[in-house]
Amino acid sequence: MLIAAASPAADPGAILRARLTGFAGFLHANGYGTGGADSVRVLETSVQTGILDQQILRWSLKALLCGRGDEWRRFDGLFDAYFLPPNKKIFVDSNVGAAAGREPPGGMREGNESEHADGAGPGVAGDDADTDTARHGASREESLASMDFRELNQAEHARDIEALMRRFAMRLKHLHLRREARFHHGRRLDLQGTIRQSVASGGTPLRLAWKERRRVRPRLLLLLDVSRSMSSYSFFYLRLARALCAELADVHCFIFHTRITGVAEALRDPDPWRSQERLHLLAAGWAGGTRIGECLRDFNRDHAARLVHSRTGVIIVSDGYDTGEPELLARELAALRRRSRRMVWLNPLLNQPGFSPESRAMQAAMPHIDLLAPGANLAGIEHVLPQIIEVLR
Amino acid sequence: MTTQRMDEVVALQLQLEGAGYVAEPALAAALLLMMDLGRPLLVEGDAGVGKTEIAKALATVRGARLIRLQCYEGLDVHAAMYEWNYQRQLLAIKLLEHDERPAAVKEQDIFSERYLLKRPLLEAISCAEPPVLLIDEVDRADEAFEAYLLELLSDFQMSIPELGTVLAVTRPLVVITSNGTRELSDALRRRCLYQYIDYPVFAKELAIVEIKAPQAAGQLARQVVEFVQSVRRMDLQKKPGIAETLDWTAALLRMGISVIDDDGAERILETLSALVKTREDRAGFTREVVARIAAAC
Repeated sequence: MLIAAASPAADPGAILRARLTGFAGFLHANGYGTGGADSVRVLETSVQTGILDQQILRWSLKALLCGRGDEWRRFDGLFDAYFLPPNKKIFVDSNVGAAAGREPPGGMREGNESEHADGAGPGVAGDDADTDTARHGASREESLASMDFRELNQAEHARDIEALMRRFAMRLKHLHLRREARFHHGRRLDLQGTIRQSVASGGTPLRLAWKERRRVRPRLLLLLDVSRSMSSYSFFYLRLARALCAELADVHCFIFHTRITGVAEALRDPDPWRSQERLHLLAAGWAGGTRIGECLRDFNRDHAARLVHSRTGVIIVSDGYDTGEPELLARELAALRRRSRRMVWLNPLLNQPGFSPESRAMQAAMPHIDLLAPGANLAGIEHVLPQIIEVLR
Repeated sequence: MTTQRMDEVVALQLQLEGAGYVAEPALAAALLLMMDLGRPLLVEGDAGVGKTEIAKALATVRGARLIRLQCYEGLDVHAAMYEWNYQRQLLAIKLLEHDERPAAVKEQDIFSERYLLKRPLLEAISCAEPPVLLIDEVDRADEAFEAYLLELLSDFQMSIPELGTVLAVTRPLVVITSNGTRELSDALRRRCLYQYIDYPVFAKELAIVEIKAPQAAGQLARQVVEFVQSVRRMDLQKKPGIAETLDWTAALLRMGISVIDDDGAERILETLSALVKTREDRAGFTREVVARIAAAC
């Protein structure tokens, strides 16, 4: 059982408490949204539930500390890695196996390790330099081989990009949607406001107050191609995406090459270095081949129902060099187009002299997109922004 | 080794089953914790896996009232928490014009509870017996509403500017469901216990069908569940949930189908509208496909 592993030398109660309170920090180090107050809650909970039954503790802490679906799915492995000695792995799968393997049996090293300020639990704190990779299951070699994300934080043009995206966001916020234009007659009386105003005229409602119409903004979905043929543009678009994410709340960003990965969370990370680190881990396969059709199929299956609705503007950034089947691409684009409001395809190569969108993928995609626009650099993007905004209405 | 807590979990599971809800032990443990800590439970999962049913079953088990707030786009404070009954207030102002009482007293009268329309959230914190409050599909409401919700969920109190702060008489058991059409704020997630509900595994779904549709004989129930489970493994736009399974079972019974095999594929096809809900998914179910799945059951 859980307490069997505690060292008999020190006060078992204190060791147990330290071990329990350390769990929230361990989860935090693994990307969970747990905070300092959660340690206290873990103690409260374990007092309520008792700690003798491993399953009860597991279920209770799972309900307490998880906040979203992916955390829910990863929890069992992390719980085992933290609480169970290495030979008692129950739900451990390979990606936390490394962390569990380094864990000293029981809570023996608890005291020495509290000095590690990064908040990682004893299960993984043994080797600070290697913790990130061990937690996420990607080896350090792999992430180094993938891509250098330092460019993402380069100061050059950063201000211009931010300014442009701020302008774009402002335009988008003030966009007069067709739905609003159609309902411009028929105001609703704001009775609360009317009565407030009637105080000035001694209780007689002389001036009427009207309800403001709620403004509903379009949602934006960015699908960025980061395959090898796009490599000279990938960072530029990623920086655009990050600036846009900072301006607007309802922006969702995915990168794709041979697989598709959501990066909005990583881009929103306020700490630029941590953001870089998270992208490292997401970007395995960066600058490889392209299979747009398959990526869109995966997107349609896994994310579209959740993210794409009748007010979503989809912006795909790709040069259209695809190694997959054009039929699949056409079918999946059609499916995505049906769900969404508008679909814009930005092709950075479009303005290059001698280029015409004749690749099979582009030909297959053309019937389904509302706007095909160039945009290889900041000036180019600025040039097409009015068109994009017009199309998003 | 069983602990006292484990016994409680099993007992709650049995009670829920008595109320017609098959709960996994993890869910029962979370419900117990929710009652102990007085925190809301946030339930996420695909449509049709029984999120809303949790609240209903919990209300039945506790013998409590179920107060439901269905969220939608544009839901505002007035529809969710409270609203002054303006028409009555205006009327009262007119009636009080010739009243001799001082103005302050009159004003107090007009902004008293008599003129307050209680909407679900205010209703829930002013019940004498703790009710079960179901906030359904919270992701449909906008961020502004979520912010209002936070005050209620952390302190179980509500500020009404004209009346003061209303403290909860009793703490309601709050169940919040979300379909994930929008990412919920971290602040809301932090205040809640969390439960993710997946599509049920074979044994669980079989138990549900047996409870909800006892007329389906043992073999039919088994075949129905096996059929639905393999339909879920197909690449569909809209996977059938538990409600669809039950509808389909009812449809089969109504058609007098008591066994699923490849000979009866024609008649099964006629009932599939209860299971498959989009045109494109329906197009994938040809006679051959149905016969193949049915033969495997």
